[in-house]
Amino acid sequence: MVGRQNRGEISLAHYGVLFLDELPEFNKKVIEALRGPLEDKSVTISRLNMAVTYPCKFVLLASMNPCPCGFYGSDTQKCNCTKEQIRKYMSKISGPLLDRIDLQIEVSRVPYQKLNSYKKEETSEEIRKRVNKARKIQLERYKGQKIFSNSELTPALIEKYCRLDNKSKKILEEAFEKLGLSARAYGRILKVARTIADLENSKEIKTQHLAEAIQYRSLDRKYFEN
Amino acid sequence: MTKVTIEDKQYPKQLRNIKNPPKQLYLEGNIELLNQNIISIVGSRNCTPNGKKLAKKFAAELTMQKITIASGMAKGIDSAAHIGTMQAGGKTIAVLGNGFNHIFPKENIELYKEIIKEGGLIVSEYPPDTKAKSNLFLERNRIVSGLSIAILVVEAAHRSGTSVTARLAKSQGRKVFVLPHEIDDKYGVGTNNLIKKGAILITSTKDIIDNFEFLKYIEFEEASTENIDKINKNKIQKQKTNKTLEMHLTNKIEKEVYMLIRNGNKEVNEIAKKSNKSISEITNALLMLELEGAIKKIEGGYKCI
Repeated sequence: MVGRQNRGEISLAHYGVLFLDELPEFNKKVIEALRGPLEDKSVTISRLNMAVTYPCKFVLLASMNPCPCGFYGSDTQKCNCTKEQIRKYMSKISGPLLDRIDLQIEVSRVPYQKLNSYKKEETSEEIRKRVNKARKIQLERYKGQKIFSNSELTPALIEKYCRLDNKSKKILEEAFEKLGLSARAYGRILKVARTIADLENSKEIKTQHLAEAIQYRSLDRKYFEN
Repeated sequence: MTKVTIEDKQYPKQLRNIKNPPKQLYLEGNIELLNQNIISIVGSRNCTPNGKKLAKKFAAELTMQKITIASGMAKGIDSAAHIGTMQAGGKTIAVLGNGFNHIFPKENIELYKEIIKEGGLIVSEYPPDTKAKSNLFLERNRIVSGLSIAILVVEAAHRSGTSVTARLAKSQGRKVFVLPHEIDDKYGVGTNNLIKKGAILITSTKDIIDNFEFLKYIEFEEASTENIDKINKNKIQKQKTNKTLEMHLTNKIEKEVYMLIRNGNKEVNEIAKKSNKSISEITNALLMLELEGAIKKIEGGYKCI
């Protein structure tokens, strides 16, 4: 995936999207190799007589089942997996990698009737407009900073652009304590909160933006209970 | 860790009388427990939530009757029995089918530590480096029943290890108590079969105690041990917090979300749809509720505490 001598998939996905379907089915070594490049946006391939650095600014998108059989946590179907199997399946994705995945969403099965319901939802076209607007806001804001989106904010810039009011600060503090989030998640939550605020065309990061950003870290939390 | 051989004085008397007693026992924790009146609670590893609940209930109630609870520290009923005993402030005995250095299943390492910390005892026939093997678990069962004056079978499917334990217990002259099940309940086929073969059907802790002449049933209200107080206190406190929580939730959305989750809607989209609120409003409420300790993240959604 990172490449041998030629560019690997992550470099081929430069400025694009890398989609890994059924993430836990990949070799663990391959999954873990993504950690560095995700942070540095570049990958260095060192071989005996050469070392090449390729850029790899990509969006990582991955999907997985909750357990090997796919029904863990489902209301309608019974899961046949043992706890040990589920633990093994989940452990393919390490904490450090999960930390680097900003949006984690659980999706339940869609019942048949809902597949062709006529209820009006926001269309892709409308969402696209919203996203473009948010991008514009970010481009405008980061003029002269040599970056063009929230994801590229450095810790110093986070301090500058992702200010929280006292109430939000307290909530974030509490959330870290009670939900067991890692330090690495801190900056990432702020960046996501900034983006959610931009999507709503809000100058400040409000409490609800922060809350939504924290809620997108659902897999970081403890998955099991006795 | 101490090693006790069959010649030693500390070797449990009950166990010496069985057909093939273990030549030596490796013990870790409170050895005194071996001289107490022990009842084992056994059942399937793959059990129902109700089975777990019953195992915990009987473990706690028997603890209050000054009975020591033993089990095999396997998944399911065994674990529930140990946990129930400790929740009632009791000390529990776990009999392993493997060495101390290879706790099985792995997720029970926490439980293993907890049992020792709470003054319990771990027993194994095998040297510490013995790995878990299925035939050893069957051998282990003879020690579980051998240590006890009786065993209580909570749940057992057709042809399960639990039925084997019950058979062993009977051949060792131990009383076998069984909780009855519906006849079409697949988790109760084994228990119902045991009843057919002459095991004692019981529905309450008193039934068990009344079967022994040397034991006297301690009325719950009369027994003023600290343990019972502790349990009752916890119960009252829990009810209180639940009530106050409901009143406490002044925020309208939070309250609505809380009620929806309590009625079994666990998934975010479901909650959003039913309350007709935006996802961002819902996630906001969910986080607040979670921080307040009213709800909890589980697989596929949330649940009330």
